[in-house]
Amino acid sequence: MKRSLNYKILKVVLLGLICLICIIPFYVLLVLSLNDPKSLFYNGNMFLPDFHLENYLEACSRSKIGRAMLNSAIITGGSLLLSIFCSGMAGYSISRRPSKINILLFSVLIGCMMIPGIINTVPLYTLMRKIHAVDTLWGMIFVTSTLSLPSGVFIFTTFIRVLPKELNEAAEIDGCTGVSAFWKVIFPLLKPATASFIILNGFGIWNNYAQAVFFLQSNNKHNVPQALSVFFQQFAGAKWHLVSATATIAIIPVVVIFLIFQKQFMTGLADGAIKG
Amino acid sequence: MRKKIDGIQLMSIPAALLFGIFFILPLFQGIGMSFTNWNGMDKASFVGLKNYIKFFSDSRALQDIKTTILFAIGSALLLNILGLIYALLMKDKFKMQGLIRVIIYLPAIISPLIMGYIWYFLLQPGRGFLYRSFEFFGGSLSWNWMANYSNTIMILILVNAWQYSGMTMIIYLAGLSSISKEIYESANIDGAGKFQVFSRITLPLLIPAIRINIVTNIIGSLSVFDIIMSLTEGGPGYSTESLSIYIMRMCYGNRTGYSTAVAMILFLIILVPVLISFKLTKSRS
Repeated sequence: MKRSLNYKILKVVLLGLICLICIIPFYVLLVLSLNDPKSLFYNGNMFLPDFHLENYLEACSRSKIGRAMLNSAIITGGSLLLSIFCSGMAGYSISRRPSKINILLFSVLIGCMMIPGIINTVPLYTLMRKIHAVDTLWGMIFVTSTLSLPSGVFIFTTFIRVLPKELNEAAEIDGCTGVSAFWKVIFPLLKPATASFIILNGFGIWNNYAQAVFFLQSNNKHNVPQALSVFFQQFAGAKWHLVSATATIAIIPVVVIFLIFQKQFMTGLADGAIKG
Repeated sequence: MRKKIDGIQLMSIPAALLFGIFFILPLFQGIGMSFTNWNGMDKASFVGLKNYIKFFSDSRALQDIKTTILFAIGSALLLNILGLIYALLMKDKFKMQGLIRVIIYLPAIISPLIMGYIWYFLLQPGRGFLYRSFEFFGGSLSWNWMANYSNTIMILILVNAWQYSGMTMIIYLAGLSSISKEIYESANIDGAGKFQVFSRITLPLLIPAIRINIVTNIIGSLSVFDIIMSLTEGGPGYSTESLSIYIMRMCYGNRTGYSTAVAMILFLIILVPVLISFKLTKSRS
């Protein structure tokens, strides 16, 4: 009995320590962002914030974080829509018509799932320049949705495979053809698959930096990581409070969305882990 | 009746077009470009294997390979050790379990670039949080994470593992929950201790999952970009530069042909763990 009590205490201590290590960096960022602008670096308050809220106003006006957040939102939304549209239909086609060409498409996509974008980013850049897609939000939408396409097709195909085929027949009796049957009957049933696709890819697109460095170059096209990297290079020398305030602003929407959807998030991740 | 069937067949076209144009086409173009001296603007000419030879005689490039592989293997091992420990601590139900899971996972949703900047503030020699904390409690710290290569690469691996161990934890939690309860019950009846249960039952059953996780983490970490850009920018010198960053810098330096050759070399390096993972998943199913 005593041994199991010891184990329990050890477990509580370890978990407490792990949580502390996970939270400290965020807390330090918050303290830094509220620090007195006159105090350099980490001088002044160590553990309790000073509440110089004006840092946030200055950060907003000096950085382009507002514009960058709008850009990231447009890119993430557009990219998710495009890849759900393409991979949902492809998943349906592959699982219902396993023809040679569809099997080939599926194998190519799965084979490329693990190839990182940086491998073909340079030749893609020359292609994008030819079609005038460099430094445009729509160009970035095409780049990021292509990168998430393999995982989308994989999720939708495995999900649609287990749906009963009778659903199509019922839809056809109601006068729906194959294609419209998908959008009217099948797609509404795919909500869990769509949710786990968004969970697995949404944050990655929002946080994309390796491709954004190439395809979004001018200041008013920057996404969040780029805007932050520009601001950091400008002010990290002495104005940690401004950089921290900007970083906090950039983090807040991501954290809020994560906290709202955390239940769906955790189950979606676990599902993905088991299927993958 | 036949026509309707064709409609469904045609529905894979948008995905095929998107992937063909923006992924497969540039992949093949990249192979071609890697044999040229193209600078991104003027006419290119064929130079054979010159780019590849240049790569293997460039000490900066070889250092980048070392950093990339060291980072990938170190990260994969640490991520899986931490993820497994976290999962074992979290597997039984207890109060506040949901909250703790959210806290442990939280860093993984933040941009690794921003996370790198935050750690930069924590670790800055002499003025970061770490040093001020030591001073606050009356001590002092002379250790400098940027002083030499092994310190720097260690910090990069640690920060990366700190950020993503929540992700491996979730995967192991899913794996642990799929082990049937009856096995544990019969072990308890036989009077096995906690450590015995772990080493004789849990660990052997998890080995296939551990193998696949380590390999997938190696694949993911081989293209590391963000965290190194924000924490070290590849420094000191070019010592902690990764191959992905090298590709970007060569492309910006108008050495387009050469940068695609580097990309092909990175591709070949990544292919090794990818093929291993295919083999592992096949033998599993």
